[in-house]
Amino acid sequence: MTVGGGPVVEEEKTEGFSFPPDVTQLGIISAIIAIVIVIIPGLPAVVKAVGVIFALLWGMDSVRKTSKYGLGTGVPSIGVLATGYGVLGALVGIAFAGILNVSIVQPGVLIGVIAMAIVGLISGVLSNNEKIIGMKIPGLERGMMELGIAGTLAMLLQFSIVAGSLDFNLVVERAISNGVIAVMFVLSMMAMFHPYNACLGPDERRPRTLMVSIEISGLLFIILGIFVAATAVSTWGVAGVVDGISLIVFGLIVWIVFFVKFIKTAMREAHSTVGTGLIKTIE
Amino acid sequence: MDPILLIVVCVLAGGVLASLGVHLLPVGGAPAAMATATGVATGTVMLMLGAAMCGLFTAASVATYTSNILLVSLSGAVGSWLMMGVTMLLANLLYVFGAGVVPVSGRVDVDPITGQSQKEYKTPQCDGHGVPNVSYISGMIGALLGGFGGALMYFALLEYANFEPTMAGVAAMAIFVANAIIAAYNIGGTIEGFHDPKFKRLPKAILTCAIISLLSGVLVWVVANMGGLIG
Amino acid sequence: MLFAWMLLIVFLALIACMFEDLESDIGSQSNPNSQVQLAAQIGQVNRFFNKAISGEAPSYALYCTIAGVVAYVLLLKDVNPLLAIPIGALAGEAIHVIFSVTAHVGRTAAQKRFEQPIYLDVLYGHLLPIATHGFMATLCITAIAYIQCNLGTLSGMPALDHPFALPLLGFIWGITVGAIGSSTGDIHYGAEREFQDRPFGEGKRVVYHGKITRYADCGVRTQKDIAYFCAKYGGPITGFTFGLIILFESWRSLIGMMLGGYLPLQEAMASDTLLGTVARVATELIPAIPAAIGDLTAIIGIVVGLAIGIVLIVGNVVIVKWARKRYGPFVGE
Repeated sequence: MTVGGGPVVEEEKTEGFSFPPDVTQLGIISAIIAIVIVIIPGLPAVVKAVGVIFALLWGMDSVRKTSKYGLGTGVPSIGVLATGYGVLGALVGIAFAGILNVSIVQPGVLIGVIAMAIVGLISGVLSNNEKIIGMKIPGLERGMMELGIAGTLAMLLQFSIVAGSLDFNLVVERAISNGVIAVMFVLSMMAMFHPYNACLGPDERRPRTLMVSIEISGLLFIILGIFVAATAVSTWGVAGVVDGISLIVFGLIVWIVFFVKFIKTAMREAHSTVGTGLIKTIE
Repeated sequence: MDPILLIVVCVLAGGVLASLGVHLLPVGGAPAAMATATGVATGTVMLMLGAAMCGLFTAASVATYTSNILLVSLSGAVGSWLMMGVTMLLANLLYVFGAGVVPVSGRVDVDPITGQSQKEYKTPQCDGHGVPNVSYISGMIGALLGGFGGALMYFALLEYANFEPTMAGVAAMAIFVANAIIAAYNIGGTIEGFHDPKFKRLPKAILTCAIISLLSGVLVWVVANMGGLIG
Repeated sequence: MLFAWMLLIVFLALIACMFEDLESDIGSQSNPNSQVQLAAQIGQVNRFFNKAISGEAPSYALYCTIAGVVAYVLLLKDVNPLLAIPIGALAGEAIHVIFSVTAHVGRTAAQKRFEQPIYLDVLYGHLLPIATHGFMATLCITAIAYIQCNLGTLSGMPALDHPFALPLLGFIWGITVGAIGSSTGDIHYGAEREFQDRPFGEGKRVVYHGKITRYADCGVRTQKDIAYFCAKYGGPITGFTFGLIILFESWRSLIGMMLGGYLPLQEAMASDTLLGTVARVATELIPAIPAAIGDLTAIIGIVVGLAIGIVLIVGNVVIVKWARKRYGPFVGE
């Protein structure tokens, strides 16, 4: 585990690639997009994938926001926490998927999201309260709540991609009991904490960090796409072969675009990029 | 007992035991890898999770041939206990023969269990190094409790909430890891064991983890109930 | 057969964890990497690979889970396991390399103000050693997960199959192997090789932190100079740790199964003889018999495990006592 950075003063930089929305705007946009997509499980996998990207992006932004102040146990822990809450919330969500249905819209799953928002908020309040754990991190309450919501939305959308529906028994059969939930768990948590962990340092810049999250989402879609295409029961339907293959293609494109963009940006913004060279001697 | 009570009580106990286990493990984090701090050289959560996973593996196979909750949980506990025991012992071998340091505690002057003096063996500017006997025993107890908690949660989800094994494993892990992380935040990443002054912060983490586990237990019951797995 | 498979698992575990540790040394992952990170910040520009993919536990969980999922998909398509497992491990390693690149480039770019350049030869030159070492570790873990998932089928007693799915077993052993690799193997890299020009036999003082050994036997040190040093002691000990854990775990379960009567019962039930028929009918009619046998099996396993743990505690007391007597109190300044 690497040591988290101490309090870092936020610096606004205008140079280079920039990402327009600030933290709050990105949260609201992502939440709305992800929620709209998650309540309609009949959408094609690529659309759901867009929802996953936004949910994970939001989660990553919250991880960045909270772990900027140093958590004491490194950046990864809070991402794992978010995914842990996400799994629980997604299970609650699919348990409620059967009720409140209005034709193709299933708003019942949002009960899981709300439940995890409450649990996240409570854990944030308890962790930040001076009398209890006293972590003294500004905005930790909001951060943990957002992480609970983002984790749940991401897991629900991935369930929906793999199972093609949010029906409890179908999800348990096609997305959980065969163990594919493990890969969702691990890649979602990586997409949330790896970007900030990988870009950690005094010259870390938010737009660059956000790119890594999208890139990891691309990898996630490739793996899920392979799984969907290989285990599909139909060719054209939701979570069918075509859905899987289009997901692979989408994931590949997203990954290539953002990976190349990230590497180029990082190499440009580093002190210098040299083919080889000796180190400068200071003694 | 009523299933809701059984599930909630087991998840609550599991979460609290996970939190307690984390407080007992000797974890030095990054400085321990440089022999600058006492304890095992990794993060609290990862070590506890590694130990609990090892226990969970055994508990899951034991649960296929016995339905006694105590035996399944104890099997998980012993799995974690062995994992921690071997890891700490071989880490000490590396400290002694690889780095040439004497395992010594930085927080107490005399080992409370063996009575060995610690201070004169310690390198200046270091916060102890290696896993001294008191930390070793504390870690073994912590692993036993943590593994018991994890396996207890797994068994409750498997038998009382009728989750399918893989689902129960993932859900138990999710709840376990949330509690372990909250406990890790409480100790700020590093702790030497029950003799460490930070151990006095334990009640705060127990309170937080109890509340979170209680909520998680209720949610698990809701899942089982709404998903048509019980009743 | 069962014993042979169990021993194979132990052997694979030994290899897996050894390569896991060496890979983390080549990539400079986990705890000692905090010093590589710190080095640039205190002005010690270096040519180390800064692979900050979280701790080792989540990162190995990642590679092994992906390997497990890909292998699982291929196995569903009736691909031979001998082909499916390496392909899975290859997929896991592809992801590993991608994460390594983002971590190294990202971290180095974030150290702009300390004038730490990105050395492209360091970046490209380390990817292959990372991938090959990681491949060995992931391959072994996936093989372990596959064998445990099908242990019963392979050894002729279907009841012994592990209830968890292949990817979840990969996840579990990935977490465990990473936790062990970072808590054991890192010490040899962090406390010795990374500070080799500092006095041996003492903890690395806080003033040394960040001032890592930047020069090798010849020229400037990169991570490749670390692996062959750690392969002599740190790696094997780490492999030994995981091997011992799996050995003790399997051994206590097997002892329990044999003495508790679970294994003979399963053997009898799997056979076609008269005894097998009797055993099947008896367990069907009186469920208390298998339940009692299962309880006894679990109890023996627990007792054996506790006994091994007590031996380990004694072992630690002996080691600490030996070190204190042999090395004596701290003498230096």
